[in-house]
Amino acid sequence: MINSSSKKSVSAKSSLYIFGILILIILLCIPIFIKSANWLQIMILILWYAGLTLSWNFVGGFAGVLPLGHAAYAGVGAYVSTLLFINSGLSPWIGMIIGGIVSALIALIIGIPTFKLHGAYYALASIAFVESIRMVVENTNEIFGIKVNGARGLLIPLEGHAPILFQFGGKVYYYYVILFFVLLILFISYKIQKSKLGFYLVAGGEDQEAAESLGVNVTYQKLIALAISAFFMGILGTFYAQLILYIYPLGIISMVLSFEIAFIAIIGGRGTLFGPILGSFILVPLAEISRMYLSGSRFLGIHLMLYSSIIILVMLYMPGGLISIFERLFYPRGIDKLR
Amino acid sequence: MLVKNIFIIKVFFTNMLGFRCLKERNDTMVFLDALLNGVLMGGIYGLTALGLTLIFGVMKVINFAHGTHLMMMMYAAYWVVELTGIDPYLSLIVVIPVAYLLGYFTQDLLVNPILKKEADVREPVGVLLLTAGLWIFFNNFFLLLFGANFRSAETIYSGTTFSLGSILVSKPLLYAFIISLISTYTLYRFLKTTRLGRAIRATGQDREAARLMGINVFRIYNIAFGVGIVAVGIAGTVLIPLFYVHPFAGDVFDIRAFVIVVLGGLGSVPGALLGGIIVGVIESLAGQYFSMTWAAALIYIIFLIVLFIRPSGIFGFEKEG
Repeated sequence: MINSSSKKSVSAKSSLYIFGILILIILLCIPIFIKSANWLQIMILILWYAGLTLSWNFVGGFAGVLPLGHAAYAGVGAYVSTLLFINSGLSPWIGMIIGGIVSALIALIIGIPTFKLHGAYYALASIAFVESIRMVVENTNEIFGIKVNGARGLLIPLEGHAPILFQFGGKVYYYYVILFFVLLILFISYKIQKSKLGFYLVAGGEDQEAAESLGVNVTYQKLIALAISAFFMGILGTFYAQLILYIYPLGIISMVLSFEIAFIAIIGGRGTLFGPILGSFILVPLAEISRMYLSGSRFLGIHLMLYSSIIILVMLYMPGGLISIFERLFYPRGIDKLR
Repeated sequence: MLVKNIFIIKVFFTNMLGFRCLKERNDTMVFLDALLNGVLMGGIYGLTALGLTLIFGVMKVINFAHGTHLMMMMYAAYWVVELTGIDPYLSLIVVIPVAYLLGYFTQDLLVNPILKKEADVREPVGVLLLTAGLWIFFNNFFLLLFGANFRSAETIYSGTTFSLGSILVSKPLLYAFIISLISTYTLYRFLKTTRLGRAIRATGQDREAARLMGINVFRIYNIAFGVGIVAVGIAGTVLIPLFYVHPFAGDVFDIRAFVIVVLGGLGSVPGALLGGIIVGVIESLAGQYFSMTWAAALIYIIFLIVLFIRPSGIFGFEKEG
């Protein structure tokens, strides 16, 4: 009995690998089939959101807290690299790393006091932080002689096809860059999940007092996860700035983006490796297509309506997220780890 | 979406401040004026927070859709006033039952199933996510239904003032403050003296013990949520002569209500009013001496400071769940 079930899970695992490799090959080949810039843009955005939700997942998934202000870190990354590029001509490739580090530092400053809070209080505090960062940026026109432009935002100067300056002539290049980032973040998630850090985080997320009584410094582990998460958020923020070539506070440091990230991750399945990716592959196309075909201010929020009704249904009927369908498929006996 | 909110506050305050520019006045009068308006506005904030504090006190969950409920109630009151032309304060006759039913069935159909499912989870965030979902959903649903227009009901109260010496006080603001005091007192008496009120408080104190005493806990939850939304409905109605109605109008009050609940203390009904007045005064004075946008940022900063001075212990949240 036991033997047969373990055999089954092994075969399920190998079929899972084959499945993963197949998807990877499809993703690599997509630019060959999709020539339309619009659709390629959607693919890029899907991957961008997948990256964001995967980074969110370090804290929101593994550590079991509910951050609702993660867009702040993407915004900080985007602003730092863009300001460096505009004012000192530093290539966004380097600015990206600096932006990521600044994001991580800000995350630590925010994280040290906020991780004392639990549940809903942490969520509220994270919203308060992203909103106050946004208000500060919106009300700052110039700081130390550097133009921030307040609510009007920053335009990134066009350089044509300049790979050294993170600007490309075609969408294809952006596609492969973001695909690389997503795979990198996925790999790091996998590594974290299999590491001591991952186990500490899950333990602390499930029962902080019990974990602490066993000698795990939960707050410290959460801070590490938050710093890694914010670093990648910062890098992805820079990517977005270079893709759209325009950033403004309400677009990138917004509560709406923060909620989108959290919703996608939870609908996909928080705390799992592939849940966030599944979530963004299902939800982002819906959002983008509704944006493409329904214009006018009335329909501005239609994708958010879609997200929120799906999240209400998921909370009511499938608390594990959509990934739990696949879990049941691969592990019919109810081993709840596709992790 | 929050830029619009700041815009609404700005419009509101410039309306109020507009009266002041008529005469030159000395600093003390400006201060007193700001203080008085802060207290009156704070009364309304307290009223908006009343529902949140009750729901929080009984169920230990934060209703993230609070501002959205307020917005929905503002629309309800707006349409009653607009279609029938009655006095805005009389529209309460319609708004209160609507609010109660909305609250009752939100709790019964959506929140209770999750609460039952998460009964043994240490940090239940399911309800939080559900209400956050409701928040985003209804904001955008009302945007779809009514468009992004700023609507304002023309009432006989709009723009009317009393004058106290050289201080001008907006009449609807004063009425709103009085109604807020009455509502707070009524709710306080209801919870203290009636049988149902005692059952609600007992459920808030200890769910299991209340169940053992023969209280139908989930029905009490439904009623508490209903009563909470009624408080929100009253707040929405008294706001009609003062504010523009807009799909995102509730968000202005959202974070303030959270701040007030934190300031005032868990489930404390008088605390909500007191916290509301504190927030109103701080905001009014900051708006007078700095700028409205920084006053909005100040709210968040106060909120964070209050949260950190007594981390999580402020409501004894850790012991629950």
